[in-house]
Amino acid sequence: MHKLRDAPGEAEADLKAQLESIVGKDKIYVLGLGNTDRADDGAGVLVAEALKRLFPNYSYSEHDGIEGTVLDISEKREDATVFIIDASDVKMSPGAVLLVRKEDIRETEITTHRVAVALMASILEKAGKKTAVVCIQPASITFRGEISPNVRQTIDMVVRVFAGLIGARR
Amino acid sequence: MRELNVEALARVEGDGGITVTLDGKKVKSVTLDVHEGPRLIEQLVKGMKPEDDLNVIPRICAICTLSHRYSAIRGLEKALGIVPPEKAQLMRELMMLGENVESNSLHTFLLALPDFLGYPSAVAMLNDYADDVKRALRLKKFGNHVMAVTSGRIVHGENPIIGGFGKYPSKKSLEEIKLKSHELIPDAVRDVELFASLEYPTYSEAETVFMSVNAPNKKYGYAGDSILVSNGKEINAEDYKKLTSERVVSHSFAKRSLYQDKPFTVGANARMVNMGKRLDGQAADLFKEHFSHTWLKNPLYNNLAQAIEMLWSLEHMPDLVDEIAGLDDPAIVQPTRLTGSGTGAVEAPRGTLYHHYDLKDGLIETADIITPTAQNLDDIEKHMKLTAERMLADDKKDDEVRLGLEMVARAYDPCISCATHLVRLKRI
Repeated sequence: MHKLRDAPGEAEADLKAQLESIVGKDKIYVLGLGNTDRADDGAGVLVAEALKRLFPNYSYSEHDGIEGTVLDISEKREDATVFIIDASDVKMSPGAVLLVRKEDIRETEITTHRVAVALMASILEKAGKKTAVVCIQPASITFRGEISPNVRQTIDMVVRVFAGLIGARR
Repeated sequence: MRELNVEALARVEGDGGITVTLDGKKVKSVTLDVHEGPRLIEQLVKGMKPEDDLNVIPRICAICTLSHRYSAIRGLEKALGIVPPEKAQLMRELMMLGENVESNSLHTFLLALPDFLGYPSAVAMLNDYADDVKRALRLKKFGNHVMAVTSGRIVHGENPIIGGFGKYPSKKSLEEIKLKSHELIPDAVRDVELFASLEYPTYSEAETVFMSVNAPNKKYGYAGDSILVSNGKEINAEDYKKLTSERVVSHSFAKRSLYQDKPFTVGANARMVNMGKRLDGQAADLFKEHFSHTWLKNPLYNNLAQAIEMLWSLEHMPDLVDEIAGLDDPAIVQPTRLTGSGTGAVEAPRGTLYHHYDLKDGLIETADIITPTAQNLDDIEKHMKLTAERMLADDKKDDEVRLGLEMVARAYDPCISCATHLVRLKRI
């Protein structure tokens, strides 16, 4: 697990460096999870939707059906790293980013509404793909609430970093 | 006196737990505790226009989103004096087939199956059953696809509207559904065979009453204007309160339902009991091969019922697609009145779902929503109490009893969030 430095410029450089250390020369796929009806809980979806406009074949959100997307990526014959972006209460300041590697993903339970991140990561790993989770600390997950300013800044920053990395590897 | 607890029931939707209170080996009580707070949706939509209600109601649940939307549409259309065009009705059938495949594939394989095979979760199962897990995910993906094509989005699609559909899908999208559903039928047959091969523990067995909609034209289906009760009665859906007399209990935020003062079952098993003889295709063959009197007593068979139903949903799609593709896109039907009442009854994957509305001058005066899980809660407790009593009499260890109880609760595929809401063993 890697906590990024707090200052915006440093956090961006930190995230880029950490992601590059995982990815190497792999293709990058982004999967954004969350509920856009619940304020900052939709951060992962917003990141993925923004990247999808730039790279429709490399970025997917919960609205695309995550399980099917995971299956499709697992069947691709290429070296790839899949980053799951999700708002998570990682006990940090709002908008902070925590990078969690596959080996540190805890097995969260599958529910009727969502297949566990751990299961998706395991399916991808069995297919030879690397996985990591980019956690964004929410400030609020109020139903029908607005995205908080700090999380909005982080969403924009995460989109910039991934846009650079995906663009360089297409 | 002691308690046996399942603090947080896993592999169900929502926040709940199970408490078993024991006096020696005597089971004093078993409660399914719902910890989720009430969501007050019925109050929220009061004063809204019917079309605005449809923006709120599907938010009750992201998995049964289309069931909630469809049930609301059926109730509101009746209240507004609207008879929807044939193509809209067929499209609604298709979207319900998609939701059924999506939900049943997830529940049977990823939520229920690990218990039967002795794994703590689907993640742990992956090493030995990767092909089965992937097969389930393929089916789920396809169910999601059908939902997206018909409703406009995978979750909270807004295409089904009062009086028809915002936009009908292209013939090409429909043709893709037809081809893919054909392709997935062998997968669904394998799923039925897998669930038919499992050993179903008998601790929970007891007679109960089953309820489901009566799909029109003596066919199997997921919507209807009357309710079939396994005691032979048929009740108009408008009289749903006669079937679901609601009450509140102290250990749960979810309301409970009784029929003639007794618990009853809704869901895939109930649909099979009431309408199974109407199935066709391979689903009918497999139903005939596997259905037995035990299904009437053992809630665990809901898992096999869901697998058969998933197959039927896939087999039914090609004909439905042909029918839809052969019809021109109709105009949206406008209301013939602005004051009236109506009840929509549909079969969500986990059971009968009612939405009742009273409208006055074009605004919602009252809304009443009764979810499948709220109807099943008393029945779940009845079967869990028997399970606890029989397993303890059989000298089963606490962990075995916990698992036995969780299997019963999970078999109903409960959506606690929707019911607004799983084991603690308390010794006294």
